[in-house]
Amino acid sequence: MNLEADSTSFLGLRPLPARSRGSGDGASTKNGFLGFELRPSLRTKLLMAFLAIEMLLVSVGVIGLLSLREADQRANQVVGLQQKIEAYRQMQHNTLRQLYGVSTALAFPNETTLAVVLRQINQFGYDLDRVSFVAKDEVALLNQVREEYARFIAVVSHIVDLIRGGRAAEAKQSEFAELGPLADKLERLTNQLVNRAEADMVAGIDASRQTYVKSQILVAAVALVSFVLTLVLGHAISRSVIDPVRIIHDGLNRIAAGDFAQRIEVPNRDELGELAAHVNSTCDELQQLYRSLEEASRHKSQFLANMSHELRTPLNAVLGFSELLLDGIYGDPPEKMRSALERIQRNGRHLLGLINDVLDLSKIEAGQLRLSLADYSVEELVNVVHTSVEPLAADKNLSLRIAVPAGLPPARGDERRLAQALFNLVGNAIKFTDRGEVRIEVEAGVDSYVFSVQDTGPGIDEADQARIFQEFQQVDNSITKAKGGAGLGLAIVKRIVEMHGGQIWIESRLGHGARFSFLVPARLEQQATQT
Amino acid sequence: MSKRVLVVEDQEDNRQILRDLLASVGYEMIEAHDGEGALAVARAQSPDLILMDIQLPILDGYEATRRIKAQSDLRHIPIIVVTSYALGGDEEKARAAGCDAYVAKPYSARKLLETINRYLT
Ligand SMILES: Nc1ncnc2c1ncn2[C@@H]1O[C@H](COP(=O)(O)OP(=O)(O)O)[C@@H](O)[C@H]1O
Ligand SMILES: [Mg+2]
Repeated sequence: MNLEADSTSFLGLRPLPARSRGSGDGASTKNGFLGFELRPSLRTKLLMAFLAIEMLLVSVGVIGLLSLREADQRANQVVGLQQKIEAYRQMQHNTLRQLYGVSTALAFPNETTLAVVLRQINQFGYDLDRVSFVAKDEVALLNQVREEYARFIAVVSHIVDLIRGGRAAEAKQSEFAELGPLADKLERLTNQLVNRAEADMVAGIDASRQTYVKSQILVAAVALVSFVLTLVLGHAISRSVIDPVRIIHDGLNRIAAGDFAQRIEVPNRDELGELAAHVNSTCDELQQLYRSLEEASRHKSQFLANMSHELRTPLNAVLGFSELLLDGIYGDPPEKMRSALERIQRNGRHLLGLINDVLDLSKIEAGQLRLSLADYSVEELVNVVHTSVEPLAADKNLSLRIAVPAGLPPARGDERRLAQALFNLVGNAIKFTDRGEVRIEVEAGVDSYVFSVQDTGPGIDEADQARIFQEFQQVDNSITKAKGGAGLGLAIVKRIVEMHGGQIWIESRLGHGARFSFLVPARLEQQATQT
Repeated sequence: MSKRVLVVEDQEDNRQILRDLLASVGYEMIEAHDGEGALAVARAQSPDLILMDIQLPILDGYEATRRIKAQSDLRHIPIIVVTSYALGGDEEKARAAGCDAYVAKPYSARKLLETINRYLT
C-alpha cells in the first residue's frame, strides 16, 4: 500500500490531478463576469489596444471633417457677402444710370429717351428683388431703401409725365429739387449696406483664418495626444507580452542548465501566465524525473561497487592462497605445480584489474569520482610509474627511457589519478611493443604539462584512432586479440585527463609505432566539470 | 616469547591465509571477526600489532582504529589497515583514523610480512 503510493508520486502521476483539481475549485467562483475584468486574455488586451488606436484615428478624422465643414460654411458666407456687395453696387450703378437717363430725357425730350427712362424703372424692380433676396438679414435698412426707391421711382414717373406734358421747366425743377437729393440719400443708404457687407466680409475672412489656425492646432494636438497614447499603449502591451516571454525564456534556459528548483514568476493572468504555470509544472515533473534518474544511477554505481567488492573478496583469497603455495609456506611445490600456480596468479591478477577498471569507469560515469587535488612533483610521478613498469619492460627486453626536464616547480592535481593515466599508457606501450623502446617524456608549457608515451610497436590505423578512446573499443586485429585486455584503459585515461580540464591525443601510423600524449594544467585549483 | 598479532577480519578464508603466513614465521595469531570484537580482544590480550580489515560488520575498521587509538593504554599498539582496492580517499581516511601503516589488497604475502616485521623488531 505504502509502496504503491510512493511509486505513483515517484512517477509524477499523482501531483498532477491533485494540482489541477485544486486550482479548478479555487478559481471557479472567481471566474464569473468579474473574472473577465480581472484576467483579460492576451487576445482581449491586444483587441483593446487596437480598438483604442482605431478610436484615436476616427477622432482625428471627425475633427478634420468638422473643421472642413466650418471652412466650407465660411467660404459660402464670403460668397454670399460678395453677391450682396455686387447687388448693392448694381443698384448704385442703376441709380446713376437713371439720373443720367432722366438728364438725357430732359435735354432731348422724345419717346426714345423716355423709353430708356421707363425701362430703367423696371430694372429697379429687378434690382430690389435681387437685393432683398441676397440680403434678407438687412431688414431695417432694406425697408428704408425700398421706401426711398419707391419715392425715387415716383419722382421719375412724375418727371416723365411732366416731360410728356411739355412742362420741361417743371420737370427740370423737380429733377433738381427732388430726384438729386433722393439719389444722394439712396447712395448713402446703399453705401451703408456695402460698408456693412464689406465689414462682414473682412470679419468672415478673419474668422476663417482663425478657424484654420484653430483646426490646425487642434489636429496637431490630437495627433500628438494619439502619438503619446499609442506609445504608452505599445509600451504597456509590450511589457505585458515581451517581459513575461523574456522571463519564461530565461527560466527555460535555467531549466536547460539543470536548475529545476526555480519558479518562473510572471505577473500576467493571461495565456502567458498559463504558459508560465505550465512550464513550472513541467519543471516539477522534470525535477522528479531527474531525481529518480539520479537515484537510479546512484543505485547502479552502489550496486557495481558492492558487486566488485563481492567479486574481489573470493578472488583475493584465491590470489592469497596461491601466493602462499608459491612461496613454499606449505612446502616447496614441484616445478609443474609452480608453473600452474603462476598461471593462477597471472589470470587472477588480470581478472582483478578488469574488475577494478569496471569499478573505476562506473564511478566516473556516475560522477562519484572526485579528484583529490594536492601539490605533486612531476618528476616523482614519472619515477613512480617508471618503477612499477620497469619489470614489465625488462621481461620483454624493451628499453625504457625517461625524459623529464629538471627542476620543474611543484604541480597541482590528483597525483594518484595522473599516475594511473600514465601507467595505463605505458602499460599499453609495453604490452603492444615486442622490440625496440618505450619513451616517457614530459614537456613543460606556459601553464601546462604534456605527458607523452612513445613506442616502436605496431601503431594504430588512422581509422581506429578515435575509436579506441571509447570504452570496450579495441583495434580489431590479431595483435590486440593475442595481448588480451577489455578495452577500458584508454577510456579511463581520457576521463581522468578531462576531469583535469586537459585533453588527450594520439600520433601514429600503422607499422610505425604510436605516441600517446595528454595535456593537463600545471596547477589545477578546481575539478573541471564533466561533459 | 613469540609476538602476538591480532587479525581483525570477517572472512574465514582470509584469516586462514594470514594464519598460515604468520605461523610460517613463528608469530602467534589471535582473532577478532568484527570491530567491536577487535576492541574487546585488544583490551583483554594486548597484542603486539593489529592487522585491521576495513570492511567489517557492526563497526568498520576506521571506527575501530579510531577507538583503539583514543584509549591511552592501547594507543601504543601499531595498527596496519588493510583495504580492498579502492578509488581514492581510503588511504587518507585510514591515516585520519590514526593507523600506523596502510596495505591495499591484493597484497603480496612477502610485502605484508615486511611491513609487519618493521613494527615487530
Ligand atoms: N601503444 C599502443 N600500440 C598499439 N595499439 C594500442 C596501443 N595502445 C592502445 N592500443 C589499441 O587501443 C585499444 C584500446 O586500449 P585500451 O583502452 O588500453 O584497452 P586494452 O589495453 O584493455 O585493450 C587496444 O586494444 C589496442 O588495440
Ligand atoms: Mg590497456
